[in-house]
Amino acid sequence: MLYLQLLINGIQTGAMYALIAAGFSLIFGMTRVFHAAHGATFTLAGFVFYECYSLLQWGLLPALLAAAIASGLFGVLLNRWVYVVIQRHEGSFFTVFAASFGAAIVVENLVAIVFGKGLVTVSSDWSRSVEMIPGLFVAPMALVAVVVAVVCFAVLHYVFTHTNLGVALRALGENPTLVDVYGLNQKTLAKYAFLIGSVLVVPAAVLTAMTSGISASMGHHIMMISIAATIVGGVGSLRGAAMAGLLFGLAENLCLAFVQPQWSEAVTFVILFLFIVFRPGGFYGRAIVS
Amino acid sequence: MKKLLRALAISQMLVAAPALAEDIKIGAAFPMSGANAEYGEIFSSGVNLAVDHVNADKRLNGKLEVVYEDSQALPTQGVIAANKLINVEKSPYILSAFTGVSKAIAPLGQRNQVVMINGGGVGPDLAQLGPYFWNVIPLVNLEVATMVPFLVKDKGLKRVALVYVDDPLGQSAREVLDKELKAAGGELVKSFSIPATAQQFSGVAAQIRDAKPDAVYIASYGNQQVQLAKQLRDNGVTQPLASYSAFSIPSLLKLPEAQGSYFTSQQVNLDSSDPRTQRMVSDYRAKYGKDPSMYAINYYNAVLLLADLAEALQKEGKPVTGANLLEKRKNTPTFDFVGAKVSFEDDGTVKAPVQINQIADGTTKLVKSGQ
Amino acid sequence: MLAYIQNIIVLFSINAILALTLNFIMGYAGIFSLAHAIFFGVGAYTAAYMALNVTDSLLICMLAAMVVSALLSVVLALPALRVRGEYFVAASLGLQIIGVTIFSEWKSVTGGLGGMIGIPPPVLFGYTFSSTGQFVGLSLAVLLGVLVILALLVRGSFGRSLMAIRDSESAAQAYGKYVNAVKTLSVAVSAGLAALAGGLYAFYMSFVNVEAFTLNMSILLMAMVIIGGTGTLLGPIVGAAIVMALPAALTYLPFIPSSELGTIQQIIYGLAMVILMMFRPGGLVGGRGKEKSA
Repeated sequence: MLYLQLLINGIQTGAMYALIAAGFSLIFGMTRVFHAAHGATFTLAGFVFYECYSLLQWGLLPALLAAAIASGLFGVLLNRWVYVVIQRHEGSFFTVFAASFGAAIVVENLVAIVFGKGLVTVSSDWSRSVEMIPGLFVAPMALVAVVVAVVCFAVLHYVFTHTNLGVALRALGENPTLVDVYGLNQKTLAKYAFLIGSVLVVPAAVLTAMTSGISASMGHHIMMISIAATIVGGVGSLRGAAMAGLLFGLAENLCLAFVQPQWSEAVTFVILFLFIVFRPGGFYGRAIVS
Repeated sequence: MKKLLRALAISQMLVAAPALAEDIKIGAAFPMSGANAEYGEIFSSGVNLAVDHVNADKRLNGKLEVVYEDSQALPTQGVIAANKLINVEKSPYILSAFTGVSKAIAPLGQRNQVVMINGGGVGPDLAQLGPYFWNVIPLVNLEVATMVPFLVKDKGLKRVALVYVDDPLGQSAREVLDKELKAAGGELVKSFSIPATAQQFSGVAAQIRDAKPDAVYIASYGNQQVQLAKQLRDNGVTQPLASYSAFSIPSLLKLPEAQGSYFTSQQVNLDSSDPRTQRMVSDYRAKYGKDPSMYAINYYNAVLLLADLAEALQKEGKPVTGANLLEKRKNTPTFDFVGAKVSFEDDGTVKAPVQINQIADGTTKLVKSGQ
Repeated sequence: MLAYIQNIIVLFSINAILALTLNFIMGYAGIFSLAHAIFFGVGAYTAAYMALNVTDSLLICMLAAMVVSALLSVVLALPALRVRGEYFVAASLGLQIIGVTIFSEWKSVTGGLGGMIGIPPPVLFGYTFSSTGQFVGLSLAVLLGVLVILALLVRGSFGRSLMAIRDSESAAQAYGKYVNAVKTLSVAVSAGLAALAGGLYAFYMSFVNVEAFTLNMSILLMAMVIIGGTGTLLGPIVGAAIVMALPAALTYLPFIPSSELGTIQQIIYGLAMVILMMFRPGGLVGGRGKEKSA
């Protein structure tokens, strides 16, 4: 019964990680920008939702919209005001990463000033666990999380395969120069990549706020999962990142049956190391050995 | 000749007077910024009140002053803060907080013969920091040993599960729980160690449910306890919770999921008729609009301890230095702390009665007095 | 007063050594590491363990610290560097996290969360370093030594190979440079020298615990390198001085509530990083260009 419980917890966590990792992988895969501020986008979305829903008492939908606007704006503006400027004159990996990291630190601390450094939760009846069968506690929120994740991925899949924008974005990821030849604008496409990737964190942020709570310094952990999942899934593959996110969520929870809780974060990175050593391409990507 | 004598007399007074009217500067290395700044505020509220009282009573020759330095609750910063207090402010008595900081600055106190005094941490490692490191509160082993017979004999809760942070405090809690439970006829059914930074406990809750204990003991601190209590309840752990003095922080007392939990603390009856207690409690209530927490009381006691020792030293004409304070403390059998009479052990820890409280209506209720 | 300043000097030297060694791989080799605090920690714990259990000889403890740290870095670098730059970032982030867990859990070696107290003062050829004044001399000497070693490496052919690899790996490989060997060696040098700072820290404080080796410390070190300037030898030293002086300087601004000092500090670092990267990627010392022959 313990295993079943941990499995269910793992699926819930994994669904959230899959969404977050997909957002990062989308941005990184399409624009080659190491958007280290993705964790900050998550934090921002979560706290904007908390502010609007719990503190200002707006309805669920308006609060969600506010969170989506905030995170989307953040991603797009960061790209336009910071990354593009850097890429104009130099754009090395280091410079972009350092700027992104700096932005993440600023956001994390601004959130801490406004909301404090502790954990906040959006209280909702749906996060209280219900004993479904003896020994198995599941919160309705867990089911919501999985459903939302599946829906989001379905929508993403549709966008990427059946819309012009989606196809153009995939092209951008595979061969940016050819995209120019086709007459499409790289910069505009990049903007959309940031927009979609950033908004993708909103469901995960909201659900996390309602279940285990969010804190200003969560961004680091989110970043780690995003990067690790992108690598394990294969750079450039959204499906891979999502699967890797699910894998990490499952691993984090299932390992509790065997090891003390301290090690559950480490398990994620053991998996990462193993992939780097034995299969750097990840699930679906091609490793570029330099 | 007379003029010379008069001049000599005046100059002698001028030289002697400053030594007699010496102000005493005590230092405090508290987290004034960062995640634990809240604790720094609680501690300093007790300290400031004590300083006001000592000066109002004019117990010392000269003024008592306190200088605050920011330790950020980190060992390296604590060392910088303590260095400033010892070498620049020339403080003979420094209030410390947070075990990591205390352990880092204890060698400085030892080397410079400056007293360092802790009123917050209760880990057993705080008893091993040398003669110049003192603790004004009983350490966790005393607290746990008091809670066990209460749980087993008074409440019939024999099977206890433990959730603990794997540091010396948590390890000590585990050892003492194991030993005392066996002795009292109970059992430590399972213990789960959690990382100090963990915030997610649904897995731990699942395992606790699996173990089916009668009660759950929590050895954690700060915000983590609040999360732990809430998530355990959210995930179906209905058994009563028990812990040590760290449960006395406001955010936990107000948590709906924590109501009914038991925790130990140093003996203090807020309604006692003892004059020191009454004065401290009523003035604190007047100044801050709420009851003083255990931490505020501890640091109030720490300052009063200095005042008692310094007053005695000054009466004997001795200078108030760290070495003299240590000697005076060793020669004093008991001290009147707010809440109880205590006496110091040789290792700088305090023997004090421990009481058992229960959280009810967002505040604490005394359930069993200490001996 | 003097003792207070001496204390600051010792801690500054330690931070400067860490910043210099981090810059060696970030600025000159273009390798990103978020795990520098772990190598600092490995050095500190190794020196402390040796001093408590084996010998209090300064040379042996420091040597042990350097070797363990360098070996660990090689284990990390070998698989990660052969693929691509982003992988090393992820791997180093992972090492930072696992490192903190291991420091907190491996009680028999590191003392767990409680750390190790009572580390004895080190002895060099019969001379014991126990007072703050003596540590000032020792730490400044080590800082100078590290500076000299790094300067020699950077100005020599090793440094030129590193910078060639940083600027274009495929070109460097075409020229016949053993890219992987050079990169791995640079990581080993960086980690080994960082361990020296760890040893200094352990002996000076007589106490080590995991709180000094967290992700926040790695971030602080990154801030020092980036703000001071990558790709120069003076930059990290300037960066270390600025970052250390910032908390004290902020206390003079009356309108900042003391409970927010820490967050304001971090915001300043973050903003500095963003703005510098946009307009002056070489940092304060480096200027517009990132390439400098040092």
